[in-house]
Amino acid sequence: MIDETRLIEIKGVSKSFGDTQVLHDIDLYIRKREFVTLLGPSGCGKTTLLRILGGFEMPSTGEVLFEGKDMTGIPPYKRRINTVFQKYALFNHLNVFDNIAFGLNLKTPEQLGCKSRAEMKQEVARRVNRMLKLVKMEGYEKRSTNALSGGQQQRIAIARALVNEPEVLLLDEPLGALDLKLRKEMQLELKAMQQQLGITFIYVTHDQEEALTMSDTIVVMNHGRIQQIGDPKGIYDEPRNAFVADFIGESNIIDGTMLQDDLVRFSDTEFQCVDEGFAKNEPVDVVIRPEDIMLVGEDVGMLRGVVESVIFKGVHYEMIIESNDCKWKVQSTTMQPVGTRVGMTIVPYNIHIMHKMPVLKEA
Amino acid sequence: MKRSWYAAPYGLWMVLFTVVPLLFVLYYAFTDQSGAFTVNNFVKIASPMYGLVLWDSLRLAFFCTLLCLLIGYPTAYFLASRDFSNAQTLVVLILVPMWMNFLLRTYAMMTLFENNGVINTLLESLGLQRIQMIGTEGAVLVGMVYNFLPFMVLPVYTVLKKMDYSVIEAAEDLGASPVRVVSRVVLPMSIPGVVSGITMVFMPAVTTFAISRMLSSGMIYLVGDMIEDYFIAMNNRNVGSTISLVMLVLIILSIGLLRKVDPDNSGGGLW
Amino acid sequence: MKNRGHRAGKLLKGLWLALVLAFLYIPIIVMIALSFNASVSRAAWTGFTLDWYVKLFKSKQIMAALNVTITVAVIATVVSTVMGTLGAIGMHAMSTGMANLLINVSYLPMTTPDIVTGVSLMLMFIFVKVPLGKWTMIMAHIAFDTPYVLFSVMPKLRQMNPNLYEAALDLGCHPAKALYKVIIPEIMPGIVTGALLAFTMSLDDFVISYFTSNTDQNLAMIVYSAARRGVEPTMYALSTLMFIVVLGLLLIVNRRNGLEEIA
Repeated sequence: MIDETRLIEIKGVSKSFGDTQVLHDIDLYIRKREFVTLLGPSGCGKTTLLRILGGFEMPSTGEVLFEGKDMTGIPPYKRRINTVFQKYALFNHLNVFDNIAFGLNLKTPEQLGCKSRAEMKQEVARRVNRMLKLVKMEGYEKRSTNALSGGQQQRIAIARALVNEPEVLLLDEPLGALDLKLRKEMQLELKAMQQQLGITFIYVTHDQEEALTMSDTIVVMNHGRIQQIGDPKGIYDEPRNAFVADFIGESNIIDGTMLQDDLVRFSDTEFQCVDEGFAKNEPVDVVIRPEDIMLVGEDVGMLRGVVESVIFKGVHYEMIIESNDCKWKVQSTTMQPVGTRVGMTIVPYNIHIMHKMPVLKEA
Repeated sequence: MKRSWYAAPYGLWMVLFTVVPLLFVLYYAFTDQSGAFTVNNFVKIASPMYGLVLWDSLRLAFFCTLLCLLIGYPTAYFLASRDFSNAQTLVVLILVPMWMNFLLRTYAMMTLFENNGVINTLLESLGLQRIQMIGTEGAVLVGMVYNFLPFMVLPVYTVLKKMDYSVIEAAEDLGASPVRVVSRVVLPMSIPGVVSGITMVFMPAVTTFAISRMLSSGMIYLVGDMIEDYFIAMNNRNVGSTISLVMLVLIILSIGLLRKVDPDNSGGGLW
Repeated sequence: MKNRGHRAGKLLKGLWLALVLAFLYIPIIVMIALSFNASVSRAAWTGFTLDWYVKLFKSKQIMAALNVTITVAVIATVVSTVMGTLGAIGMHAMSTGMANLLINVSYLPMTTPDIVTGVSLMLMFIFVKVPLGKWTMIMAHIAFDTPYVLFSVMPKLRQMNPNLYEAALDLGCHPAKALYKVIIPEIMPGIVTGALLAFTMSLDDFVISYFTSNTDQNLAMIVYSAARRGVEPTMYALSTLMFIVVLGLLLIVNRRNGLEEIA
């Protein structure tokens, strides 16, 4: 599916607004037909990065290449990139049809492969109708945009951008204003659309689940810096630092000491692990996913503890287990009542060792 | 893509036609007819005759403002209360005359007050004596109140309307009598509206010139009339500018003083 | 008991409001009635006539003043609407400090007494030796009209989704094109309200026109000079017509956004 050619390359991009630096030396490339998600908490710089790609902001330093050519100074109206804005930004003085046709109507008949104005009018109608079908809004042509629900407005905003056949579609938290059920539906639809059209999508969200569902590649950002780039599974299974581990899914993050290659000590216990290359006795963050902790009999566990609380979460139970003054979050399909003494085991490859990240403490 | 430049013609026009002209007032106030610097204009208008005219203007404007407040406040309060289902229409009815040219309104007043005008005709037909009204301070005062009353009602009404009505209910609930509700709750909360109402009445009242001339056939002479005469009849623009400048400064000072009562200027002013 | 007191209170309030309305409207109603009175005297009703209106339209002086009034109002409205709208758009894109400065300048004609505004403009025109007439009146009207347009348009710009302009650029619009294809339609209600207000203010102005024009008189100036000679029934007819026109314009503005907001 994904073409290996690099469509967009972001090289050493930094951005400051006044005294605040919101992007620090970003390096990133985006391949053709890739679904890339910029993921991070609010204020992490993801929207600013998207706006730089759209041409609405200029980087303070660094450059953005499109198919190898510098496009840093190119204004938005000359980029083959279109944007779906967070609050839709539909034109209220135009009806649904004219909103979608807006970009096409700015073109000359020749650009649309037509010989005359009349022919162009038909071509525009054809393309708009195709888009309405794609976003499942046939029959809404003449409606006023004010009369549409949030979800419908979002579909029109997507159609309005896609009808221009952009190389890249930028989406700025497009589903943020929708309710949960609609959001889930739209996630799947958007992914299907992207695959069907073969367009590169760059998607900004703070919702980690959305990112995991839709993306080919996730770029996790925090404090204006890229924390990790990878595919959803890689990011989830192998978070590179404590921030990523904490932001993507749930994690137990504990202080530990790397005794030697493949051997770590935390919670007063030595564990086998699969991480190498750390300094002897280096203080590290140890990250363990709640679902990777197995509950066993008290006498056979590597750690022993007492169940402190239990919450039913639908598919599993979430328990807090206290052990050696340390609280562990554990997910399991079998419930242990509060007060039960249990043992816990963790297999070596589920123990993730991370360098302490002093830079993350700056906020 | 410097969109801020779109404001350039506007900014230029405003500077050229509002700021610069005011500088001309300043310039003329400090020069004589030949253009030489002088403070004689100020010396001249410091005389008792000018002082008397100024005093008359301030006194009439003060009483006009007071009357507008006494009539306008209850009016605004009643309109903002929930007793009238058609309050919205009543408000529009009270505000409409504000937009009618003040000359027309004053002209209408003249019709009533004239020696053989409507009121005197009515009095006569009832077998009563005619009253000389044109030329009295009373007529000018009534004419001014008539013209400026809506400017008091509007801001007070706006503030009272925005007031959370449950505050009044809370006060009643806590045992306050209607009089106390007004004096302890409504009045203090409506101060911003009163302040901007006073500004909107006092400023045009103290500078009015046509109203007094029309309703007194020139017997009552106010600062506005004096400025008009210096510029139009006497063609002495220097003294005219000096009077304008003094009046402008007085008005700015009084607005400044009023703002102290309502520092955040939260009243329902012009905008 | 309480209920009865309440009802009595309501009655008193109603009476008060009725008196205030009577005070405001009796003079206007009397004037309108007298404009149809056959007699010149205000003393007696001697029969219905439209003579004063006929006389009005036959008067060269009044028709000339009508011409001046409308010419000035139309030109001032067009110029101030364009300049005020562009001004609002520009100020919207400005830094806060600069915009605040301009807003304060915009308040200046609203807080300066009309008579001072009038004489200050008169001084400037005389100083630069521009003859006082229709054109100086137009310039003065533009100066006091434009802030009304500006303050009608500014809120619409503030309410506007900031992404709209970017969306237009994103879809291929040049900045200038985005302005008239997207921003202008979006703020159109504010522009129309501002234009109507400017037109009304311009039709209605007396004080500033009086000081900035010599050779050309508008209708309000005619009313003033007539009033100094004494009351004339043609003036009642003129006043009635002017009242009706301004009232009509205000009702249109009012239907758009409520009179309290524009007052």
